[in-house]
Amino acid sequence: MLGLIQYPARLLRATKRQTAALALPDRRDLETIGLHLLLVGSVLLIVFPILVAAIVSTKQTGIVTSLADLVPGGHVVENYRTVLVDYQFGRFMWNSFLMATVIVIGKLALSIFAATAIVYYDLPYKDLLFLFILFTLLLPVPVRFIPLFQLVADMGWTNSMLAITVPYLASATTVFILRQHFLSIPSSIVETAKLDGVGPLKFMAFVLLPMSKGILVGVSVIMFVFAWNQYLWPLVIINAEADQVAQVGLALLEGDVVGGEVSWSLVMAGSMLTLLPPLLLLILFRKPLLRAFVIQQK
Amino acid sequence: MGSDEPYDRCVSRRRALKGAGAAVTAGVVGLSGCVGDDGGDSGSGSVDPLADELTVWHAMGGQLGETLDQIAADFQDEADIEVTMQFQDSYEDVLQNTISGFDSGEMADMLQVDSLFAQQVLDTGEIRPVETILPDDFDTDDFLDNVTDFFVIDDELASMPFNNSNAIMYINRDAFAEAGLDPDDPPSTIADVRAASETLVGEGVTDYGITWPNHVWFVEHWYSLEGELMTDAENGHTGDPSQFRAPDAVTDLYDWWRGMEEDGLYTNPGIEAWGEATSLFVEGNCAMLLTSTASVAGLIADSEFEVDAVPYPTISETRVGPVIGGASFYVPEGFSEDRYDEIGQLLEFMADPSVQVDWHKGTGYYPITESSLEELRSENWFEENPNYETALNQLRNGDASDPATKRILLGPARQVQTTVQDQSVDIIGSSDLEGSIDDMQEQATAELEDYYG
Amino acid sequence: MSSREIYTDRRTAGLLLLPTILVSLVFLYYPAARAARRALYSSQLGLDDEFVGFENFAELLTSGGYRSRLLLTVGFAAVVVAGVMAVALLLTFLVHEVGTGKSIYLVAAIWPYALPPAVAALVFIFLVHPTLGVLSGPLATLGVDLDWFADGRQAFVVVTVAAIWKQIGYNVIFMIASMNNIPETLTETARLDGVGRLRRLLWVYVPIMTPTLFFLVILNTIYAFFGTFAFIDIMTGGGPSGATNILIFDLYQEAFDFFNWGLASAKSVVLFAVVGVLMYVQFRLTDKYSHYGA
Repeated sequence: MLGLIQYPARLLRATKRQTAALALPDRRDLETIGLHLLLVGSVLLIVFPILVAAIVSTKQTGIVTSLADLVPGGHVVENYRTVLVDYQFGRFMWNSFLMATVIVIGKLALSIFAATAIVYYDLPYKDLLFLFILFTLLLPVPVRFIPLFQLVADMGWTNSMLAITVPYLASATTVFILRQHFLSIPSSIVETAKLDGVGPLKFMAFVLLPMSKGILVGVSVIMFVFAWNQYLWPLVIINAEADQVAQVGLALLEGDVVGGEVSWSLVMAGSMLTLLPPLLLLILFRKPLLRAFVIQQK
Repeated sequence: MGSDEPYDRCVSRRRALKGAGAAVTAGVVGLSGCVGDDGGDSGSGSVDPLADELTVWHAMGGQLGETLDQIAADFQDEADIEVTMQFQDSYEDVLQNTISGFDSGEMADMLQVDSLFAQQVLDTGEIRPVETILPDDFDTDDFLDNVTDFFVIDDELASMPFNNSNAIMYINRDAFAEAGLDPDDPPSTIADVRAASETLVGEGVTDYGITWPNHVWFVEHWYSLEGELMTDAENGHTGDPSQFRAPDAVTDLYDWWRGMEEDGLYTNPGIEAWGEATSLFVEGNCAMLLTSTASVAGLIADSEFEVDAVPYPTISETRVGPVIGGASFYVPEGFSEDRYDEIGQLLEFMADPSVQVDWHKGTGYYPITESSLEELRSENWFEENPNYETALNQLRNGDASDPATKRILLGPARQVQTTVQDQSVDIIGSSDLEGSIDDMQEQATAELEDYYG
Repeated sequence: MSSREIYTDRRTAGLLLLPTILVSLVFLYYPAARAARRALYSSQLGLDDEFVGFENFAELLTSGGYRSRLLLTVGFAAVVVAGVMAVALLLTFLVHEVGTGKSIYLVAAIWPYALPPAVAALVFIFLVHPTLGVLSGPLATLGVDLDWFADGRQAFVVVTVAAIWKQIGYNVIFMIASMNNIPETLTETARLDGVGRLRRLLWVYVPIMTPTLFFLVILNTIYAFFGTFAFIDIMTGGGPSGATNILIFDLYQEAFDFFNWGLASAKSVVLFAVVGVLMYVQFRLTDKYSHYGA
């Protein structure tokens, strides 16, 4: 985990080495240039499909039959407006946003409670309880979406925000990450809290949370991206257009294209819109995100 | 089936469970309860409307959907009842949402169901026949005979026929002329189609001769035009079918189809790829297209060449008639009577001659009532737009009394459909034609046995 | 560790744990139990339910179609896992080796993590669309005639590539962390011994990274089995002719196309077993290779 924040030190060392190895400047330089070329090439390759999508989303019809056609068009405002308003993407995105936000906040709260109980309470059968939570990793949506559908339908939750948020609120992964993190908080701090007679709520609010800011941001981003990108469950449980989320809305939009009625530029505009929120979060919060991921593996 | 005792118990539990607080009870009781509730096909359960306004689930994309929206707006002006038309991507998706909607107890007020899936929707046991909803003075005899034949079940109009079509062939007249073919003498059998394709491709006019979406509907047309049943029990209309049929004519069909594929005269646009196939024709890759008559308006508007609509090509010289089907609107059971009153008004409005005439002109679906037909004739519509008459003539020239022209009505329709579509790809890519056709027949028969056996 | 257990009030602890346990019970355990039970029934739309014992499972075992879909899924997973890990490993190594601009390169390498599968699928359809695709022309000049709406093998390749693309970022995230943890001295020693870069990656780094790589094999397998549903649903619908009909899509189709709930439930039980085995393997491997601190 520390490795991620070691770049500056490493860079320094690398520079030193290079000055020391002046005898072979050419080879080193060539290699560095080669490295950069390779990297730029591979990165471009990975970004290429999205670049094409971005360009196409600005064109009128989106018929691009050769690489030479890949010049941005002048229909940005028009296309994005059509998608957001006429094809209800504004609505879909809002639904997705609401869903992801509720899941993040709910999961975070539930997981902090659970992890606190597991780490800071003297409980019998604690390991068993923890296993009970961990075991849910074996039950991802795909292996239980059919009975889950029946259950949620029986509860009358179809087409509601409850249906696409509540079933996600228990998170083995988040409880696990937080537990690992809590265990890494020096016990001396914890004992001080005990000596001061701090109650559990205050302990969470004034000791645990401030010491976990980074990790909380990290897992929040993980959870947001996870929630935002859900496809199968909303597809199954939501069938009213007004309650649909962006992922499934996008597939609906594509249905219109296959029907020969909508141009690809609109689908690509919809794609760009759907990609934007998670991408922005990733770029803004990459450091805490990376740290949260690494702790998960341990 | 709704009268089964366990079902009733489960229904009441389901009702009791509505609301979040009951979740825990579900966890405890559910494990020891009955399994039947899971299917949700629980007889006359209570369903809630999806929204305050009337909601219609449909599968009409793009321009067709816009025409529907217009109908809704007109109805709103006239009756002061709000209607939302919700596009559900495809008939397959409407079916999915219908079945799962019954499960969840939230339903749209009208469901546009492809006749292929009629049995599935009726199987839910939660459908209220439209005849009991329509105003008393509604004249069901106004529907064309071939249309009512299919949609009347147990002497009652079960659903409201609305958009009815059959498959026809479109030809690119310009391409035909350029290849030295006579566009006024279009191919009428599949052998003719092959000959024309050879010329078109040989002359370098188009990349391929013909295309059509890989959908069971086209295979059904070939069966019915040949007068062959697809399954026993008259395609499921007179009892439980147990056998998928593959008569000799079907071997001829696939032999031709495979040959066309091998020689690059046909291109496969993909399974259920309606839009793909259409764009191949519009963009000039193929000079012939088999697709729904509903594409007439769109194809004429989108093509930069002259389009002709001609009858569907047959396997042999036999031409019994096209399969009758199309989609119709079903109404769920379980709403309040006031609501049915509103739905009845909307149904009546949609069958109104002037709406039917506009719908026909805007799409190409043929008019389904005698009065709308009268109206079109009186304004000489068909003389001026002969392409719009092709499907109608094909229908009326067909022998509706032949059971082969009745579309398959099967419990496992979706399974049989998937099997035929998947296996068609295998057959045309196979070196063992007979063996692959046997495979298809066996698999489809197994689906029937699984269900009815 | 016990010094952390500063609270003893069991009621509060119970309250803290209750929400998570409740949601787990109701929305995770209960549906799973219900699926297991229902797998023992024949339950299909239009037919009465009937207890059939293990008949559904017997049907799956003897069904040639299901077996070939299972094989297809295993093959698909193998290609996706191998593909994504090879690409991600090379990419990570490049990022690790480069000096200036490292953090920018890193972001450019991990961003597909945020990529929604539905978006990835749609963008890919457009790229290699047989008639409209941007790449169809250039590929045709290379002698590749794109025809994946009809050609099963091509469809398999297209879906695989799209699925790999989306998963690169996730792998790089873990790999870069692991690679950065490799002691500098080892790198130095290898350099002094005149070991080339590629050999250093394969013979020095990879062995040290083994625990991470194992971990990723499991995560990627789970992704290939379940996370790729949107790709199949949007790009191919399992076709043509079943060429991309992996188990998760097959399950969805059984339930929501064929309304054959009993058989579908049996299929979810099979998938549950698959996840179970994978998780178990992961657990054992993590136990073996890393210092599991629990």
